Amino acid sequence: MFPAVSNIVDKRGGRMKKIDKAVADQYFREKNRYMILYFVIWFVVSYGVVLFAEPLSEITIMGGFPFHYFMGAQGAVVTFIILLFVNAKVGDMIDKKYGIDEEQNVRLSAGKSVDH
Amino acid sequence: MDTQFLVSFAIIIATFALYIGIAIFNKAKATSDFYVASRGVPPIFNGMAIGADWMSAASFIGMAGTIMLLGYDGLAYIMGWTGGYLLLTFLLAPQLRKYGRYTVPEFIGDRYDSHTARVIAAICTIAISFTYSVGQLSGSGVVIGRLFEIDAKLGTMIGVVLIAFYAAFGGMKGITWTQVAQYLVLIIAYLIPVIFMSLQLTSSALPWLSYGELVGKMGELDRELGISEYFAPFTNGTKWQFLALMFTLMCGTAGLPHVIVRFYTVSTMKAARWSGAWALLFIGLLYLSAPAYAAFSRFILMTKIAGSKITELPAWTKSWIDTGKLQLADGNSDGVLQWNELIISNDIVVMATPEIANLGVFVIGLVAAGAMAAALSTAGGLMISISSAFAHDIFYRVWKPNATEKTRLSVGRWSIVVATLLAGLIALNPPGAITQIVAWAFALATGTFFPALVLGVWWKRSNAQGVIAGLLIGLAVTLGYIFAAKYGGFTILGIIDTGAGVFGAIAAFLANIIVSLATAAPSQKIQEEVLDLRYPEQMVYKDGEVWMNEEKA
Repeated sequence: MFPAVSNIVDKRGGRMKKIDKAVADQYFREKNRYMILYFVIWFVVSYGVVLFAEPLSEITIMGGFPFHYFMGAQGAVVTFIILLFVNAKVGDMIDKKYGIDEEQNVRLSAGKSVDH
Repeated sequence: MDTQFLVSFAIIIATFALYIGIAIFNKAKATSDFYVASRGVPPIFNGMAIGADWMSAASFIGMAGTIMLLGYDGLAYIMGWTGGYLLLTFLLAPQLRKYGRYTVPEFIGDRYDSHTARVIAAICTIAISFTYSVGQLSGSGVVIGRLFEIDAKLGTMIGVVLIAFYAAFGGMKGITWTQVAQYLVLIIAYLIPVIFMSLQLTSSALPWLSYGELVGKMGELDRELGISEYFAPFTNGTKWQFLALMFTLMCGTAGLPHVIVRFYTVSTMKAARWSGAWALLFIGLLYLSAPAYAAFSRFILMTKIAGSKITELPAWTKSWIDTGKLQLADGNSDGVLQWNELIISNDIVVMATPEIANLGVFVIGLVAAGAMAAALSTAGGLMISISSAFAHDIFYRVWKPNATEKTRLSVGRWSIVVATLLAGLIALNPPGAITQIVAWAFALATGTFFPALVLGVWWKRSNAQGVIAGLLIGLAVTLGYIFAAKYGGFTILGIIDTGAGVFGAIAAFLANIIVSLATAAPSQKIQEEVLDLRYPEQMVYKDGEVWMNEEKA
């Protein structure tokens, strides 16, 4: 999906292909859109529930838990775990959509660490 | 020597032999191995290692007791210490991995191109990790002291020797695999008593689903006693203190140097993403169980211990009363122990509950071994952070750039030994409760590193002058608020010393932004390096264009 405009050679002799800046920006924006969504959910289940703890304590779920207590002790934590796994999976899917090859990342990453 | 002592001792020795065996097997040989385990740890095991690093004496020994005593207000710790992983995994970890530096001070020094910023960051790292490790060492002292029935100070000294030994000789590589083993020991040690108590009290093997009914029942018992209900919100502090503490713990999580360095041990940004997810899953197992642990302990104390005749109390009460952590006073002299006549320290709830619930010598010994794993693993990670901040960022990068690898490795090892001994000395007479000391370390990380790292990764315009101002002002405001609130009685909206990070973070963000905008923009090269962090490794930002590396390996 990236039209080749020109080719250069990187320091390691690998071929570098210029890609459309608009496509790269779109990659960044797409990831950020998901991230903002995750943070909205993160905020609502933790800070949001604490802000409205008094009215929410009237509701009882799961055989005895007042709702605000359940969210603080379990609901928020489970939501956080789910969000992190969704983020990891969605991140992989976005990478795939834009043709990112993880094997290349491993190779490039191994070369990029600064060795002193 | 009684059976309990022999069983506990055998279990602890067996687990220590396992950790030290792994550390020796992996004895680090090169600098790169010593600090970051050659960046080849698979995400699932890295997740366990982060979990062991993360879950300290405060989490294992202190948290359930804190929730038992504070009720709903104690849940700020549960949400704060887990919710921070979203900030870390979304905003910082993958980007820092792509930047490819060893340590947090190194990132700050190179990103902002300033030796001054590097040294300030190294000093902040040492201050945060050192404060945190004082809490760990005093925790290990309590466990060792109680277990072997020796003075807690002697217990602390034994802990110091153990930590100095395997942190100095194993390095991060030894510690990564040691910590996988420690995670497994501590999580098994935590879950077994919770599951047994759940079977005893609710006939269900799934405590997470079953303790709700006890929470409701305890509310009724509290109403009968005329005290505030267990689950009633904001009985021990204001709503703003709850929010400020939760914010401080979350941002501190994302700014703790010894946790961030774990994300340098993975291979790519993708692996960093997955490591964060696995880490929170493994950590969540303990954090979801702590409120259940608290509820079961409180229910047993309320229904089985309270109401007994003072002369007929079980044997376990004696040994805990001797530690000074448990007080039973027959206030109205009727020969019966009432609930309000029982004063229990939050630090002994996890350790004492298996005895209270009569779970047997094996489980009690296992809990002691788990508590030791939690204290030692976190202290080990903290020592590596201190050692790398000093040996790598200050000694090598600034002071002696020509030092040989051998010299640097030996400086690293000696700084671990010196830091452990100093922390051990302070831990002999700790300046506060374990949880309080740990909360100060989080407040310092929130007021210094969190703003510096977030702006460093997400805002190319942030420059050296900005970060220096941000780090210093954030540090000053956080420390100032901690001291003013703790010793001067000064509070805003009822926020006490443990919530100080919120003010430090606001001050540091503002200082960094205002000073950066008032001074010259960073160089073109630095701005490009920051924009490059938006993309995966294969995409490279250069000269205003994005390039895709297509070479097949």
